[in-house]
Amino acid sequence: MTKKRTISIILGIMCFALTFGIFVQVRTIKSTDSTISQNQEANDLRDEILRYKERYDNRFKELEEAEKELETQREEATQNDSALKEAQEKITTGNKITGMTEVTGPGVTITLTDGKGIATSTLNPSELIVHDLDVLSVINELINAGAEAISINEQRWVLTTAISCRGNTIDINGERIGAPFTIKAIGLPEYLAGLERIGGYLEYMKQDGVGVNLEKSNNITIPKYSGVINFEYLKNVEE
Amino acid sequence: MRKGKITMTITIGIACFALVTVMMMQFKVVNETDITEIENMQESELKTELANWKTKYDEIDAQYEDTMQKIEEYKNDEESNNEASRLVQEELEQTNTLLGLTDVEGEGIVVTLKSGEDVAAISADDLLIIVNALKFAGAEAISINDERIVNTTDIVNILDGSFIKVNGQRILEPYVIKVIGNQSHLESAITGNGGKIDELQTLGHTATIEKDNKITITKYNGEVETKYLN
Repeated sequence: MTKKRTISIILGIMCFALTFGIFVQVRTIKSTDSTISQNQEANDLRDEILRYKERYDNRFKELEEAEKELETQREEATQNDSALKEAQEKITTGNKITGMTEVTGPGVTITLTDGKGIATSTLNPSELIVHDLDVLSVINELINAGAEAISINEQRWVLTTAISCRGNTIDINGERIGAPFTIKAIGLPEYLAGLERIGGYLEYMKQDGVGVNLEKSNNITIPKYSGVINFEYLKNVEE
Repeated sequence: MRKGKITMTITIGIACFALVTVMMMQFKVVNETDITEIENMQESELKTELANWKTKYDEIDAQYEDTMQKIEEYKNDEESNNEASRLVQEELEQTNTLLGLTDVEGEGIVVTLKSGEDVAAISADDLLIIVNALKFAGAEAISINDERIVNTTDIVNILDGSFIKVNGQRILEPYVIKVIGNQSHLESAITGNGGKIDELQTLGHTATIEKDNKITITKYNGEVETKYLN
């Protein structure tokens, strides 16, 4: 008889948990759905965004091709003049450093993942999450270790790149990216791997429960900047 | 009795399975909800996003046209070396501007920082955060104590924070940050509630911001070379 009672109680608890689970789920889906289907105008906006993204992607590919062609033309036009050839080489190198062309080389890939711990088990659940300032600090350390080119989730780090918090995602080069963050850097892999040292920022993040992984590689590709740097307020001082 | 037990076990088994499945589904949905894809954006956000992509497209498109024109010019002027020379010099100047290798001028703000006496000194991280906020507000050129901020600039504490190095050069207080860009955008990015300047002032540091219609920022003095980029 007591057995039956135990079983009844267990079943009761199960039913309750099940109902609760379904309830939470339904609520989540509802709140997700409401923004998807109920608003025609919003749907049109989404379509238009996707169209512009596609136009952008296509134009970006064409631009990459055109820039390669420009480099070829520049090389041809300058090959018979040593001074011009030198200027041409400076432009090519400069474009690599400033992020205007895709680059490859040895380096490291660092992956930062939000902590998997249960929020209630730490005093401050926010410590488990990768923040904008975490990414900024890692990049600063990479540069300090001699990184010559850096990207964060395929967004090239250029002169004007800022990292800013936007809800639970971060904003880089005007694009939203979310965890996990993959930071690629080209430089001497042994120096760059020094970021894992005791007392470094990566170790500090690990202690906070953030997932940190660093891998050396001899062949890292970092894309060109996805935008264009235009100056509106700045002028070169005439010499 | 036996039969009842089996039925019970099976029932509990099914209940457990259903429960776990529902939980899994729920976690998946919650996970997907976290990724702020455009599916989950509100209308106002969508409008901003659309404007962003329009701007991005227009910029890339203009750059494409510009590149095509340069290609044409190189092609047309193959015979005349003077033209090629002019074109190359023009491109080199653009590259050098991006590398920070030219002195530049324009409107902007000058931020001066000095550590308070009874508090921990202003750190490299503070400067890093200010520079980041200024870039986000559209800064076109920045220097700290005349060290030009380029894309390979690091700002680090040396000897447990007894001094700061920018571009590998030691800088001393007061820190003078010169910025070229839209004055009100720059100022509001670092002041106000949550702004880094306000935070430093609250902690007891001295910070002043001055607007200037003609700021000159000197060029980067470090080496510009690469060993590893192909």
